[in-house]
Amino acid sequence: MATEFFGLPLEAGAMNVWAIWILPFFAALIIPGVAKFSKRGTDGVAVAFALMSAISASTLLPAALQGHEIHDQIPWISSIGIKAGILGDPLAILMANVVGWISFLIMVYSTGYMKGDKDITRFWFWMMFFVGSMQLIVLSDNFLQLFFGWEGVGLASYALIGFWYLDKKKDHVGTEGHTALGISQYYSPTHAGIKAFIMTKVGDVMMLAGMFLIFAFAGTFGFRELTHDTAWATSMASQNLLIPAAVLLFGGAIGKSAQFPLNEWLLEAMTGPTSVSALIHAATMVKAGVFLVARLGPLFFALAAIGINMDQFFEVIAWVGAITAFLLATQGMVSPEIKKVLAYSTGSQIGYMMMALGIAGLSRQFVDGYTAGFFHLISHAMFKASLFMAAGSLLHVVGSRFMTDMGGLRQHMRKTYAFMWAAGLALMGAPFITTGFWSKDAIFAAVYESGNVWALPIFSLALVTAIITAFYTTRMIGMVFFGNKSKHIEKMEKEGHHIHEASASMWVPYGILAVLTIGIGIIGLTAEHGIHRLFTEYLANSFGIQSHVETVSTQSESILGGFLSGVNPVALMASLTAFAVGFGLGYIFYIGRFVDPVKFVNSNLFFYAIHKFFLNRWYLNSIIYWCFVVAPLYFARGTWRYFESIVIDGLNRGPEKAIAVGARIVQGTQTGISQSYLYVFGAGILLILLLLFI
Amino acid sequence: MQYVLLQAVFLPLLLSPVAYVLARKYGPNSATWFTFGLLLYCTTIMIAPVFSGTYEEHFPWTKLFGEFGFLLDGLASPFAIIIYVLSTVLALYSKPYMVRKITEQFEERMHKQNQLIADGQSTAMIESSGLKGYVNNQIGIYFALFLVFAMGMLGTVLATNLIEFYVFFEVMLIPGFFLIALYGYGARRRIALLFFFWTHVGAVVLLLGFLAIGLNVGSFDFSAIKEHGIPPNILTFAAIAIILGLGVKLAAFIFHIWLPYAHAEAPTPISALLSPAMIGIGGYGLFRLLVMLLPGQYEHFALFLNLWGLVTIFYGGIMALMQDDIKRLFAYSSISQMGYLIFGIGSSSALGLSGAEMMYVSHGLGKGLLFMMAGAIILQVGTRSMTKLGGLAGKMPITAVCAMIGALTIMGVPPTSGFMGEWTLFYGALQTALQQGSTIRMITFGLGLVSTVLTMAYILWMIKRVFFGKLPENLSNTKEASWYITAPMMVLAGFSIVVGIYPDIFFKQIIPFMNGVMGV
Repeated sequence: MATEFFGLPLEAGAMNVWAIWILPFFAALIIPGVAKFSKRGTDGVAVAFALMSAISASTLLPAALQGHEIHDQIPWISSIGIKAGILGDPLAILMANVVGWISFLIMVYSTGYMKGDKDITRFWFWMMFFVGSMQLIVLSDNFLQLFFGWEGVGLASYALIGFWYLDKKKDHVGTEGHTALGISQYYSPTHAGIKAFIMTKVGDVMMLAGMFLIFAFAGTFGFRELTHDTAWATSMASQNLLIPAAVLLFGGAIGKSAQFPLNEWLLEAMTGPTSVSALIHAATMVKAGVFLVARLGPLFFALAAIGINMDQFFEVIAWVGAITAFLLATQGMVSPEIKKVLAYSTGSQIGYMMMALGIAGLSRQFVDGYTAGFFHLISHAMFKASLFMAAGSLLHVVGSRFMTDMGGLRQHMRKTYAFMWAAGLALMGAPFITTGFWSKDAIFAAVYESGNVWALPIFSLALVTAIITAFYTTRMIGMVFFGNKSKHIEKMEKEGHHIHEASASMWVPYGILAVLTIGIGIIGLTAEHGIHRLFTEYLANSFGIQSHVETVSTQSESILGGFLSGVNPVALMASLTAFAVGFGLGYIFYIGRFVDPVKFVNSNLFFYAIHKFFLNRWYLNSIIYWCFVVAPLYFARGTWRYFESIVIDGLNRGPEKAIAVGARIVQGTQTGISQSYLYVFGAGILLILLLLFI
Repeated sequence: MQYVLLQAVFLPLLLSPVAYVLARKYGPNSATWFTFGLLLYCTTIMIAPVFSGTYEEHFPWTKLFGEFGFLLDGLASPFAIIIYVLSTVLALYSKPYMVRKITEQFEERMHKQNQLIADGQSTAMIESSGLKGYVNNQIGIYFALFLVFAMGMLGTVLATNLIEFYVFFEVMLIPGFFLIALYGYGARRRIALLFFFWTHVGAVVLLLGFLAIGLNVGSFDFSAIKEHGIPPNILTFAAIAIILGLGVKLAAFIFHIWLPYAHAEAPTPISALLSPAMIGIGGYGLFRLLVMLLPGQYEHFALFLNLWGLVTIFYGGIMALMQDDIKRLFAYSSISQMGYLIFGIGSSSALGLSGAEMMYVSHGLGKGLLFMMAGAIILQVGTRSMTKLGGLAGKMPITAVCAMIGALTIMGVPPTSGFMGEWTLFYGALQTALQQGSTIRMITFGLGLVSTVLTMAYILWMIKRVFFGKLPENLSNTKEASWYITAPMMVLAGFSIVVGIYPDIFFKQIIPFMNGVMGV
C-alpha cells in the first residue's frame, strides 16, 4: 500500500521507520534553540523525542514479528545513482526497539544524573545525536548511509567521552602514576576521546576499503541489491578478493565493538558521564559492530548456496570474539575502578556475541548461533545498562570511581543493592531465572553443536571466560556493598555527607531494566524460541538460508525433559558449572571474606605476576602506544629537525644567497664613474657595428 | 543577463579604487560593506548560470593570443563558487581583524619613532589623530588589494586561453605579495618576497610550457589546441613544465618550501584565502591543462602524480604534528590536503577526479573555517602558540563549534563535505587499481586511506590543545569574537554540512563533466 509524502511514494509503515532515526536528530537540532529559552526544557525535549522514537519503533514490532519487511528509498546522490533508504526487516526492527527503549530509559536517568551541569545543552545534543546515529546504522539499507551513522556514533562518542573537556583530576580514568612499560595508564577525558575516535577510525578505514571493494564489483551499496544479485560475489571470489573484503568490513566492527586488537579505547571511554557509558555499552556504539556482523553474516553465509565458501571469514569473527572475551574478562578481575570492571565486561560479552555470530557461519545450523548472538545482545543491553546506571548512582553518592572507596553500602542504598544483584546475576549467568543465563547457554550450545574443528577450543575459552565473568561480577558487588565501610566513606560521613539512595529519576530506570532482566529470564527459554522462530523465517525469506530442524533437537530431547526440553545438556552443565565456580570463588574472597584477596595475591610470586600482567592490560595498551604514538612522533621529530629545517629550508637559503652574491657582482659594475661608463658604451657600439657589418 | 562573467571578474578590479576612496573618506565600515556587497553581487550573478549547464562568454582579443573568454563548466564552477564565496565572507571577517592588525602596526611604528625622537616628548596627541587616518588609509589599500586578489583567482579558473590563464595567474600573485608584505607578521617583507619568488618561478616554468604549446599549435585557445592537437615532439616537455609549474603552486612535496612561511605569516583573512582558495588553483590547472589538454601525457604521468600526492599527504601530515603555531600547523595541513588533490588527479578515474575536485571544495570550506578560527584566537587571545592556549571551548563556544565542523571537514567525517570528497577520491583510486590490476596502485590506495588516520591525529590533537584541557589563568577573561568573525564562520560551517548531506549540489556539475573527460 503506497501513500504519498511530500511527493515521495511511501510504503505503509515506512514513515515510522524514517521517524525512528530522524526524530533524535531533529531533537538534537532544536535542543540548542530550546536551551535559549529554558535549560530545563531541554531535558523534556530529549526525553520526549527519545520516547517518540522508541514508540515509533514499537509500532512496527507486530509487523516485524510476522516477518514483514519495509524497504523504502529516496533519491540521494543521483549523479552516481546512489539512493538513500531504510530497511525495516525483523532484525533491524528488533534492534531498533532495543536501542530505542534502552536509550529512552538512559535519557530519563540522565535527567537526574546530569542535574545542574552547566553544559547540559551540549550533553543533550550529543546524546540525541548519538541515538539518531545508532538508529541510522540499524535502519540504513545501504553501506554508504550506514557509514554516516557509523561515523556519527564515533563522533558522538568522541564528544561525550571528552564531555568534561577541562580535564579535571576527578574526571580522569586510571590510577595516577600507574605506568606500564613506561606508558602512563592514567588518562584525561579529552585524551580518551581522541583515543576512541582514532582507534575506531582505524577500523572505519578498513571498513571503507571493504565497502569500496564490494561497490567496485557490485556497483551498489544496497544490502537488498547485494542479496538479490550475487554475480559480484562470484567475480570477487574468482579474484580472491571476497574474503579480504569481508574481513575488512569486519575490521569496522572490530573497531566499533572494541574487539581485539582495537579494544583499548573502551576502557578510557569511562571518562565520560556514566549515562554516556551506559549508552555506549548497552545501546549504541559497541553494539553497532555486532549489528553490522548480524547484518552481513547472513549475506555472506547465503553465498554458500552458489558455492562460495566463506568459512575463513567466519573463523576470523569467531576467534576474534573468543580471544576478546577471554582477554578482557581476565583484566576485569583486577581493575579497582567499578566502571572499568563493567567496561572490561562489556568488551568480553561483545566477544561472546561475535563468537556466536562467527560460529553460526561455521555450523550447519546458521540460525542457532545467529539467534544466540542476537539474544545475548538483547539481554546484555538490559543488564549492562542497568549495571552502568546503578554504578553511576554509586559514583554520584560516593564521589569516587574506586571500589576501594566504597564498601558496606548495602544498608544505605537498598534499592541499588537489590537491582545490582539482579542485573549482576544476569551477567554472571545465574541459572534459570536470568536472561543472561539463557543467552549464554544458547551461545554455549551453538558453539558445542556447530561440529566445527574449532568448536572445542572456542568452547573451552568460552567456558573459562564464563567462570571469570561470574567471579569478577561477584567481586564487584562484594567490594561495593559488603564488608566494612571504606575510609573514604567514613570521612565523608564525618564531614556531614549523608550516604543515601539516589533520586527516583535515577533508580527507576535501572530498576525497570533489572526487573525485566529477571522477568524475561523466567520465560527466557520461550523468548529464545520465539526469536529463533522469527530468525529462521527471516533468514529463509530474505536470504534463502534453510535450517535443518530435525537434526538438533532429537538427541537433547531424549535426555532433558520438562521445561528444559530442547536444551543441550552439555552446554547446560557448562553454564551451571561456570556460575557455581565463579560465584563460589567470588563469595569466598569478597562476600564471605574468608580470605583477604590482597594478601592472597601477594602470597606467591605466580599470582602476583599474573595480577600485575592483568592490571597492566597484558601490556597491549603500552605496546600500541609505543608502536603507534611514541615511535611515529619520534620519526616526525627527526624528519622535522633534520630534513624540513635543514634540507628544505636550505633550498630557500640557496637562491637567496645566489641572488645576494649576484647583486654584489652587479653592484660592483655600478661604479658611478662616467669615464668607465663611456668606455663600456663605446665598446658596446663597436661590437654592434662589427656585428652589423660582418 | 549578459556579460555576467565579465562583470564578475572585472567589477572588483575596476571598483577596487572605490573601496580605497570610501575607506579614506568614511572609514573601515563603509569599505567593508562595499567590498562585501560588491563580491556578494558578483557571486550571485556568477552562480545563477551554473544551474543551467555550461556557460561561456567570448570577447575579441589580439590576433596573436586568440580569444579572451570565460568558461563556466562543470570543472570551473565549483572552483569559481568556492573562491567567491570565501572571498565574500572573508570581506566581512577582515574588518575587525585588519583594523586591529593595522592599529598594532601603527603602534609599532609610533614606538619606533618615539625611540628615534628619544627626547621623551609626548606624542599622544599626534597619535590619536594620526591613528584614525592611518587606519582608514591602510584599510582602503587592504580592501583594494583584496578585491584584485579575488578577481585574479576567479579569472584564472574561468580563462579559456593559455595566455589569459597566465595573466590572471600572475594577477593574483601581485596583490598577494603586497598583502603579505604590508600586513603580514614576522619578517613579512622577506616572506612576501619568498612567496613571490617561488610562485613566480613556478609561473615562469608554466609560461615556458604555454609558449611551447601555443607557438607550435599556432593558437593559445584551449578549444583550438584541443582541436588541432599538440605536436608530439613537445608533448613531454609541455606536460613536465605544467606539472612542475603547478606543483609549486600546489606546494607539493619539495616544492612546498614557500608555503609554511607565507600561510603562517600572512594576515589571517589572507591566509584563509591563500590556503583554501589559491593553492588549489594549481589543482584546477592540472585538470584543465594536463588532464584535458594532454590526455595522453596525463595517462603517462598519472601514477607518478598518485605517488607524489601520497608522499605529500604523509609529509604534510607528519610536519603538522610537529607544529606549535596554529597557523603553521594549518599551513602544513594544507600541503597534506593538496596531496589528496594530487593523489585524486593521479587516480585516472572519473570518480577519483570528481573526488579530487570535491576535495578542493571541502578543503576550501574546512581550512577556511580553521584559519578563521586561528584568526579569532589571535584577535581574542593574542597568541598563536598552542602551548599557551587551552580550554577555550567554554569561552568561545561558537568559534569552537565552527572550528570543530571545519576539523571534521578536513578529517573527512560525515556529514561534512569532506567525506564526500574523500570517499569518491579513494574509491576512484581503487577502481583504477582493480581495472589495471596494478599492485602499486592497490598499495597507494591502502596507504591513502591510512593517511586519513594521520590527518585525524594532527587535527584532533590541535583541537585538544586549543579548546580543551586546562584553561590558562591569563585567559579566564577571554570573550567570544564579534559577529563579523562568527557569522562568516557559521555560513561556511553550514555550507559544509549541507554539501556533506546533499553532495549533488556540486556532484551534479562535476561527475557528468568528469565522465565526459574520461570517456566513461
